[in-house]
Amino acid sequence: MAGNQDLQNLVNYGLVKAHVAMGLIFFIIVGLMGFLYSLQLDGIYPFLGIEFLSPGRVRMIHTAGAAYGFLVNMFTGLLYWAVPRFTGYRILSDALGWFMFIALQAAVLITVVSILFFGMADNVEWGETPWWLDPIIVFWLLLHLMQFGAPLFKASQRGPLYVTGWYVSAMLVWTPLVVFMGNLIPRFWSVGSGAGAVQSTFIHDLVGLYVTPVAWGLMYYFVPVIMKKPMWSHGLSLLGFWGLAFFYPMNGVHHFLWSPIPMFAQYSAVFATVAVEFAVTSVLINFMMTLRGSAEQLKYNVPLRYMYTGAIFYWITCFQCAFHVTLTFQKVIHFTDWVTGHAHLIMFGTFGLWVLGMAEYVWPRLFGKETMYSKGLSEGAYWLLMIGVLAMFFDLTAAGLVQGFDWIGLNPWIDSVNFSKPFWYFRSIAGIMMLTGLFMYALNFYKTATAKAGLSAELREA
Amino acid sequence: MGKMERFSFVALVAGILFFLFADFISWALPMFVMKDIPKKSVADLAAEAISKNTSAWSDFNKLYRYYPEQFKKFCEYEDMYSGSGKIEEAECKPNEKTFAKALKVGHRWYVAEGCWNCHSQMVRPVSNETLRFGIPGVSNTVSYPSEFNNELQAPVLWGTKRVGQDLIREAAVHNVGWHVAHLYNPQSTSPGSVMPPYPWYFEKDSKGNIVPNARGLALLTYIMWLGSWEVKPPESFRMEAKQ
Ligand code: HEC
Ligand code: HEM
Repeated sequence: MAGNQDLQNLVNYGLVKAHVAMGLIFFIIVGLMGFLYSLQLDGIYPFLGIEFLSPGRVRMIHTAGAAYGFLVNMFTGLLYWAVPRFTGYRILSDALGWFMFIALQAAVLITVVSILFFGMADNVEWGETPWWLDPIIVFWLLLHLMQFGAPLFKASQRGPLYVTGWYVSAMLVWTPLVVFMGNLIPRFWSVGSGAGAVQSTFIHDLVGLYVTPVAWGLMYYFVPVIMKKPMWSHGLSLLGFWGLAFFYPMNGVHHFLWSPIPMFAQYSAVFATVAVEFAVTSVLINFMMTLRGSAEQLKYNVPLRYMYTGAIFYWITCFQCAFHVTLTFQKVIHFTDWVTGHAHLIMFGTFGLWVLGMAEYVWPRLFGKETMYSKGLSEGAYWLLMIGVLAMFFDLTAAGLVQGFDWIGLNPWIDSVNFSKPFWYFRSIAGIMMLTGLFMYALNFYKTATAKAGLSAELREA
Repeated sequence: MGKMERFSFVALVAGILFFLFADFISWALPMFVMKDIPKKSVADLAAEAISKNTSAWSDFNKLYRYYPEQFKKFCEYEDMYSGSGKIEEAECKPNEKTFAKALKVGHRWYVAEGCWNCHSQMVRPVSNETLRFGIPGVSNTVSYPSEFNNELQAPVLWGTKRVGQDLIREAAVHNVGWHVAHLYNPQSTSPGSVMPPYPWYFEKDSKGNIVPNARGLALLTYIMWLGSWEVKPPESFRMEAKQ
């Protein structure tokens, strides 16, 4: 067993701290942007008539910021913690790490400034970054591949990699390919329906081939570490990974069903999407069986609770997906708020809660403390975030059905807008809950980092 | 089994092979199937609209007649991001060059304002959409691949969310005056609308009236162009003409 000093030499604590802190800051900014935009739909937008704060532009910051500001920062930070620990090797270079850290914040800042102030945006959802920035992001992702690829490569010279290693290895290769494909091909090498097919693949692959594999990879690392026992079944781990790797990349076109994309591509996407549900279910069974006998830990251990809550939300989202991916459901729910509800359950409810759980596990340890500053803040944040996102999900799902059937009914358009308003007000209230949760969470982080005495475990039980 | 769990195996098989296979099915094959559909540049689109004398072309002429001062400013307007330069004074009237520039600049700001986050550009063959969008008998067809095969649809503007209506059959729905009033303040034409106002596409002219500015003219041209290739004279009109 490596001593604390060895681990300190293995993991660059500074990089973890910097990325996780920036990720949390962007999480709050992204939430604020989403909330601000939701005020427009409530008819009480505070900055109307100010060009650079136009709701349409703010919404692009919300989605692009979620991808690059929040998720990439958080995941990179957590990878700096997890990868050296489970491989036993340091990352390629600390200097490269700091360079990448600054480059990432600069890229996000440039995106925000060009979208808000210069109106330079691309109409690729999640990839609204101006096109001239995209090659730089691809380059960044290649550095990211080398940075984390080095320890993984070294470790696999010695023997098989742990599950996390498979997910991270595949993700490191996928992500630059995905960003290149999604942002540059539809702009320079294809148009119209062909571009649409590429864009839909991008929308999905950024979730499926970046966010999902890193997040599952980290789950496979943190859950057994926290519970101090191995995963229930190695076979299921293998099945889940290879099922995901094979079927997930084919899902993309399900974002544009009933579109002018040739039907064979649409059918294959529907088929692959249903197949993914089976892969996901196998992963989930594995996690649930690992929990067996340790479930009482969920009562005391907030990080673990975040992780299992997220896992259940993940399964709900994927179960929902198996239905609404069908061409029948699509007739009603496509283009409605149903989809927005789905997007938030997975992005906030699952990946958001997971990274918060992981960060809450890592954070006190980074500062040599045994526990977070306040149990109350920690619990309060959890419940607000969990209930908030669930409320938002149910609300938007219902709104989606109302909108979908209203449109089919050929009522005047403005009716569907008016019918949606109560749902949109409620969404803003759920947003306030989520934001309050995030602020409490961030306060707890700040207090933990700055607390003078080492917080000890006894304090937590008190 | 051990081999399957190595970096190089995962990176090559899952990372590259599976990815390429999926891309082959999801978009390389569809792109191949549609490769014979001609790809139009913005200049082609403008030339086509003029030669067919579509509603977009007549709307563009109307904008020129209603707002001559601003039209001059529009000719001088330069925009790096969409690659649009100045147009000489001699050529500053409705023609292929100015029309193409208006479409390009209009498209650029349509994207920059995130209009596509609230408006789709795709009429699906289901859910009564062909009845809802456009005007029955005039511009209410389902979307088909070739109408998207042009430079202004790269990346494609289908969108994923509708707060407002689909706009790909917008051409025949409203006239110039309505669009001007609506863009300046959507509540004025559509009480209860949640579309934001866009006053920065407007300015005061020499008489103190609020009129579209250079960017505004381009954006309006672009919106009124959407679907103009599908606008046909109404059927009743044709039948009366025959008798
Ligand atoms: C917050 C969402 C939102 C944004 C952003 C938005 N719109 Fe709208 N738009 C609506 C809604 C809702 C309606 C329906 C009510 C109305 O007529 O205003 C609408 C209606 C329209 C119509 C009339 C459609 C018809 O057939 O009657 C046009 C044209 C239009 N918008 C253009 C634009 C343009 C151009 C932009 C970008 C500069 C834009 N919209 C941005 C929500 C939005
Ligand atoms: C306080 C929390 C949040 C609020 C109030 C909020 C609000 C919103 C709103 C109002 C929209 C626009 C929906 C529409 O077009 O009608 C939106 C879209 C979106 N948000 Fe959020 N958001 C929050 C957090 C997040 C987070 C953390 C993520 C990602 C990690 C996220 C990802 C997305 C995505 C992907 C979309 C696009 C959905 C679509 O196309 O339908 N949001 N959000």
